[in-house]
Amino acid sequence: MTVTSGPAGWWRALTGERARWSVAVAVTYFLGAHLGLSLSLVGENVTPLWPPTGIAVAAFVVVGRWLWPAVAVAALAVNLPLSAGALAAVATAAGNTLAPLVAVLVLEAIGFRRQLDRQRDALGIVLAALASTLISALIGSLALAWSDAISYAELPATWAVWWTGDAMGVLIVTPFLLSLPLLRDLPSWPLRQSAEMVAILVTVVVATAWAARTLQVLFLALPVVGWAAWRYQLRAAAPAALIASAITTWSAARGLGTFRGRPLIDQMLALQAFNASIALASFVLAAVVSERNSATRALEAAAADLEARVAVRTAELSALNDQLETEIRERFEAQEQLSHEEARAQREHDIAETLQRSLLPARLPDVPGVAVAARYVPATSDVQIGGDWYDVLQLPDGQVGLAIGDVAGHGVSAAATMAQVRMALRVYALQDASPATVLRSVHRLVSQLPMPEMVTLLYAVLDPRTRRLRVASAGHPPVLAFSATGASYLKVGLAPPVGVTAEAIYEESVHRLEPGATLLLYTDGLVERRGASITEGLDRLCTAAAAMAGEDLERLCDHLLTTMIEPHHLADDVALIAVRPLPVVAGPWRLTVPAEARMLSLARGSLRQWLRDAGVTKDDENDILVACGEACANVVQHAYAAAPGDLELEARLDEDLLEMWVRDRGQWRAPSDRGGGWGLQLMQALTDAVDVDRTGDGTVVHLRRRVTIGPGKSG
Amino acid sequence: MTRVAHITSHEHSGRVRHVQVSGEIDLANVDEVRQAITTELADDPARVILDLRGTTYLDSAAIAMLFRLAQRLGHRRQDLALVVPRDAPIRAVLELTSIQTVIPLHDTLDAASGEPSRRGGP
Repeated sequence: MTVTSGPAGWWRALTGERARWSVAVAVTYFLGAHLGLSLSLVGENVTPLWPPTGIAVAAFVVVGRWLWPAVAVAALAVNLPLSAGALAAVATAAGNTLAPLVAVLVLEAIGFRRQLDRQRDALGIVLAALASTLISALIGSLALAWSDAISYAELPATWAVWWTGDAMGVLIVTPFLLSLPLLRDLPSWPLRQSAEMVAILVTVVVATAWAARTLQVLFLALPVVGWAAWRYQLRAAAPAALIASAITTWSAARGLGTFRGRPLIDQMLALQAFNASIALASFVLAAVVSERNSATRALEAAAADLEARVAVRTAELSALNDQLETEIRERFEAQEQLSHEEARAQREHDIAETLQRSLLPARLPDVPGVAVAARYVPATSDVQIGGDWYDVLQLPDGQVGLAIGDVAGHGVSAAATMAQVRMALRVYALQDASPATVLRSVHRLVSQLPMPEMVTLLYAVLDPRTRRLRVASAGHPPVLAFSATGASYLKVGLAPPVGVTAEAIYEESVHRLEPGATLLLYTDGLVERRGASITEGLDRLCTAAAAMAGEDLERLCDHLLTTMIEPHHLADDVALIAVRPLPVVAGPWRLTVPAEARMLSLARGSLRQWLRDAGVTKDDENDILVACGEACANVVQHAYAAAPGDLELEARLDEDLLEMWVRDRGQWRAPSDRGGGWGLQLMQALTDAVDVDRTGDGTVVHLRRRVTIGPGKSG
Repeated sequence: MTRVAHITSHEHSGRVRHVQVSGEIDLANVDEVRQAITTELADDPARVILDLRGTTYLDSAAIAMLFRLAQRLGHRRQDLALVVPRDAPIRAVLELTSIQTVIPLHDTLDAASGEPSRRGGP
C-alpha cells in the first residue's frame, strides 16, 4: 500500500489495477453518497448516516491510502451540485477526503487488523470514526454556513448531525465492507449455517422494520445483532447492523413509525443512539467473540499440542520403560543363570569337600607301638578339592598299615575315585599283610573300573616291635626314613601308577628301621615347587627332616610344611604322614620271694612269662633266665646264712636294653666252692655287664643285656 | 623226684644205661637229681648215657653236679656221655663251662650210643 510515484507509476495507475480500483471506489463513493442523501434530515446534504466516509475508510484499509484522489474526486462530484458555490463544494470535498485519511492513519497507528477479531480493533474503529469525522463535520458545517445555506445559529445542530452521520457511516459501513473479504476467505459454509445466516438477516429486517414502524421498542434489533455476532461474528453482525441501521435511518428520514411528529433533535438522538448501539453491539461483540473463539482455539490447539506432546512423551517413556524392563529381565535371567551356575559349582565343591574329608581319617587311630601325625593342606591356587589322601590302619597282628595316595585331577570325580581306591585298599589290607599283594589287588580293581584319573599309591606295613617295614609303591614318591644318625629314601622297586599297565608288577622291599627312626610318607606337593626340580625338593626334604630327627611328630609336620611349601602359593595339595615306632618299654617287673632255693623255680617262671610278654626272643630268654638264676642262687646260698631273708627281683626293658636287679638285705658269707665259681662266670658270659654293689644293707647285682624283640631270629 | 625234674632209665644194650632227665635242674633239686641218677646206676653199668633232651633249665649247681658225676664214674672206669641237641637252650650254657672237654657232648642219642670214648680217668 505504498504510493508509487513517477510517470511509469501513474501510467500503470491509469491503465492497470489501480485505475480499476480508483474508478470502483469513486463510483461506490458516489452511489453511497446519494444513498446517504436520500436519508438526510437537514436540507439535502446533511444526513444521519453518511456511507461514503465508511466506504473511503474501508477502501483505504483494504486497498491503500493511495486511493485518496479517487475519493476526493468522487466527493467533489457529490458536493458540487449540492453546494452553494464551487469553493464550498471543494472545501466540503476536502473535508470528506481528509476524514477517512485521518481515520486510516489512526487505525494504522494502533495496529488495526481488518479482520476485526480483537477488542483493540473494535475500540480502534470507534476511536477513528469519532475522531476523524470531527474534521469533515466541522469543515462541511462551516462551508454550509459560509455559503449561507444555513444560518450560523443552525451551525451546532448541523455540525452535530454531520458528525454523527459521518461517524455512523464509518461505524456501520466500514465493518460491513471489511466483512466482505472474510466471506471470501472462509471455506464454503454448510447448508445449515447458511440457512441460519439467512434467518438472522431476515429476522433483523423484520424485527427492525416492525419495531421502527409500529412499536415504541426501537431496540428489538439489538438481540438479533447480538445473536449474529455470537454465532458468526463480523461476517453476520456487520450485514445485520447495516440492515438494521439502514431501515431505522430510512424510517427516521421519512418520519415514519416511532419517529413521526418528533422534533429533529429527538429524532437525531434516538436514531444515533440506536445506530451507535447497533454498531457497537455488532462489531464489538463480534470482536470479543472472535477473540474468545481464537483464545479457545488457541487453548484447544495448545491442549491438542500438549496432548500430542504428552502422547509422544508417553510413547517415549513407554518405549523406554519397555527397554528398561527388557534389560532388567535379561539381567535378571543372566543373574539367575549365574547364580544357578554358582550354586551348582558350590554344590559340587561341597560334595567334593565332604568326600575329601571323609577320605581323611577324622582322627588318627591310636595304634599301639607307634606315634603318628598327619597333615593335609589343600592347594591354594585352585578352589577345587584335590585328590590327595592318607590312611593309617591297625592290622590284626599288631602291625600298622600306612597308605598314602594321590589322584591326578580335582573335584567330585577325583574325590569319588579316591573314595573307591581307599576303601578297596582297606579291604585288601585286612586280607593280606603283604603290601605288594595289596597293590596288585588294588591294581586289578582299578583296571576294571572306568577311572579316568591316574592314581599313585604307596602302601607300607610296619611292625612296631621289630621296626620291620615292608613297602610297595605304585609310582609314588619314596618313603623317607630318618633318625639322629642320618636320613635316606628307602629303595623301592619302580612301578607305574595303579591301573596304568596291564600287568600288576608291584614288588615290595623290606627294611629294618633303626631305633628311634621316623618314617615320612608324603605326596608330591610337598617336594614340588615351581622353578625347582624334584631332586632338589627331595634333597631339601631330606635335610629338613634330618634336622628334626628327635622332635615331636606334630612339631615335625609343622616344621616340614613351613620349610617345604609356601602356604599362600600352593600349586598342589599336600598330604603327609609321619610315623615313628615307639621304644618297646616293658616293666618294671618286680618280685619279692623268700630267699630259699625252692622259690627259684617260681621266680624263673614269673620272669619267663614277663620276657615273653615283652616280645623277647627265646634265645635271649634262656640266657637271661640262667644269668638271673645264678644271681638268685647266690642270694639263696650266701646272703642270709641260716636266717630267713627276702630275695628281691626287678626287671625293665627299654627298647632293646634289658636291665635286672637282684637284691638281698643280708651279709654275704664267703662264697663256697659248690658252684665251682661258675655262677659269676655264667652271669658275665650271658650278659653284657654285671655290677655287684655290696653295702652294709645288702647286695645288689645289676645285670644288663641287649635283647632282640620280636618273633624273628635275626638282629 | 621233684616237681621240676623227672628221671627215668633203662638198659640200653649190654652194660649201657640210658638215663633221661626232663624238666629243670637248679640249686633246689640238684641233690635229689644226683641221688636219683646214682640210684639208676646201681647195677654198675659200663657206660652211662645221660639224656638231657628233655631238660629245659640247668644252673651252675647242676653243671657242677655233672662234673662231679663224671669224675666219680671215671674213678670206677665207667663212661659218661651227654645228649644235648645243638639248638637246645641249655647247650649254650653247657658250652660256656667247657664241659665238653670233660664229658662227651652228643647231639643225638644214636651218636652217644656209638663207640665209647675212653678219655679221662686215671
